[in-house]
Amino acid sequence: MLAHWHIRLALLALFTLPSVLAAEEASDASDVPTYRSSVSEVRVTFFATDESNHPVAALTKSDFAVVDNERVVRNFRSFMHTDETALDVVALVDLSGSVAPRFRVSMSDVLQLVAREQSILDDNIAVLSFGGTSGGAVGGLHPAILCSSGCRDSDSMSRLLAVKSGGTTPLFDALIFGADFISHHRRAGVRPVLILFSDGDDTISMHSPPEALEAVLAAGALIYSVDMGTSGNRTSGSRFLRQVSEATGGRYFSLRDGAATVLNAVLEDLRASYVVTYDLPSHQVGSHSLRLLPTHNLNLTFHSRNTYYYEPSGH
Amino acid sequence: MKFTLLLTLALSGISVAWAAPLGIYQHGTVVRMRMGDCMIAHGGFMKAFGPPQAAVVEENCPEYTLVTDKVVFLIVGKSSNQLVPLAEVIDFRFHNKELAVRVDDARKESKFAIKEMTLRSEWEHIQRHIEDQLNDSPHRGVDTSLALRSRE
Repeated sequence: MLAHWHIRLALLALFTLPSVLAAEEASDASDVPTYRSSVSEVRVTFFATDESNHPVAALTKSDFAVVDNERVVRNFRSFMHTDETALDVVALVDLSGSVAPRFRVSMSDVLQLVAREQSILDDNIAVLSFGGTSGGAVGGLHPAILCSSGCRDSDSMSRLLAVKSGGTTPLFDALIFGADFISHHRRAGVRPVLILFSDGDDTISMHSPPEALEAVLAAGALIYSVDMGTSGNRTSGSRFLRQVSEATGGRYFSLRDGAATVLNAVLEDLRASYVVTYDLPSHQVGSHSLRLLPTHNLNLTFHSRNTYYYEPSGH
Repeated sequence: MKFTLLLTLALSGISVAWAAPLGIYQHGTVVRMRMGDCMIAHGGFMKAFGPPQAAVVEENCPEYTLVTDKVVFLIVGKSSNQLVPLAEVIDFRFHNKELAVRVDDARKESKFAIKEMTLRSEWEHIQRHIEDQLNDSPHRGVDTSLALRSRE
């Protein structure tokens, strides 16, 4: 008797993992009856905030329901605190001309993030940029790694201080670059977070917004966006920042909130995160929409990625 | 003006508080939820026939399938963020052609437009048909909301 576990990781999933289990498979002797069963489980990592936008530390499984492809799910297989205990932070900074007046403020925030030794290990923080100029050379179309694993050393600090703003805004390409960077540095038990400093406007990317979002979801990263725009939060750029943050289970901030607020939120959200698992409600192949909603306290807002991809075993 | 407002609020609060002990609430379970078109046309005639607006933002409203003993309701919120508590059982009552859902924690009611009503037996028959379709061809998407609407 041989038992096989076929686990299909969804293309978009890391936080949400539909898996397929095929068990009790007789592999020899054609006259031996073969019993097959398959169970699919969806796994969602999330946190909740209250009406004051603070994370809720004590949740129970009766506080929420999952809406998976329109179906309301209340029967969960398991509900527990997340096993992620550390952060891998990638700051992705827009240095393009459109944010030039605010770019010093954002770089100051980035330097504050890098300096928070008690919160993030030096190996767990990286700074990437797009647009702008660095040491006189135009950064332009290609996103750049300003520092990775060792951002606190003097050379890295000098590099961060030397950046200059200007040029075009390949935001969507930069998100894909950031997602790729995160995928290559992914470690178990560590939550990848992409803190995006931008006004949300793109001027020259080769890739589209959905492609950028898909890449970030596939990397399993949460986007915490810091809006560098000045025209209020009703612009298309601000809407994009909100959408990508919500879609990945992260949050949206204004540049006025400051680095400390953003990082504190990232840390508090991690501590208040839970994992819920449930049976796949529909074996419909493809993208499943996902939403967590309150069962009684409508002031609670649940933050999780808003889609996952289901592909059954053998496809 | 202020007095009238306070009086209205007080009366509505009393009516909600009395509704539960009087047993006028019916019970049901929300089994599906989707974002769909809003039923209420904001702006009415002027919006339809007036000059084009510079920036019209299409709003989606939550649509819930509420299953009760005998009837299945399709109810629609009036704005994108009007939520029904998704508890196992929710209390509701009819109020001026609308469906008022009791929100326990907020001690208030939230009113929803009724889009459709179907006998539960018929609804279950349709659901079984949809399930069969899904099981036959898991690779093809089935718009389950269409089946309900085709009954109109």
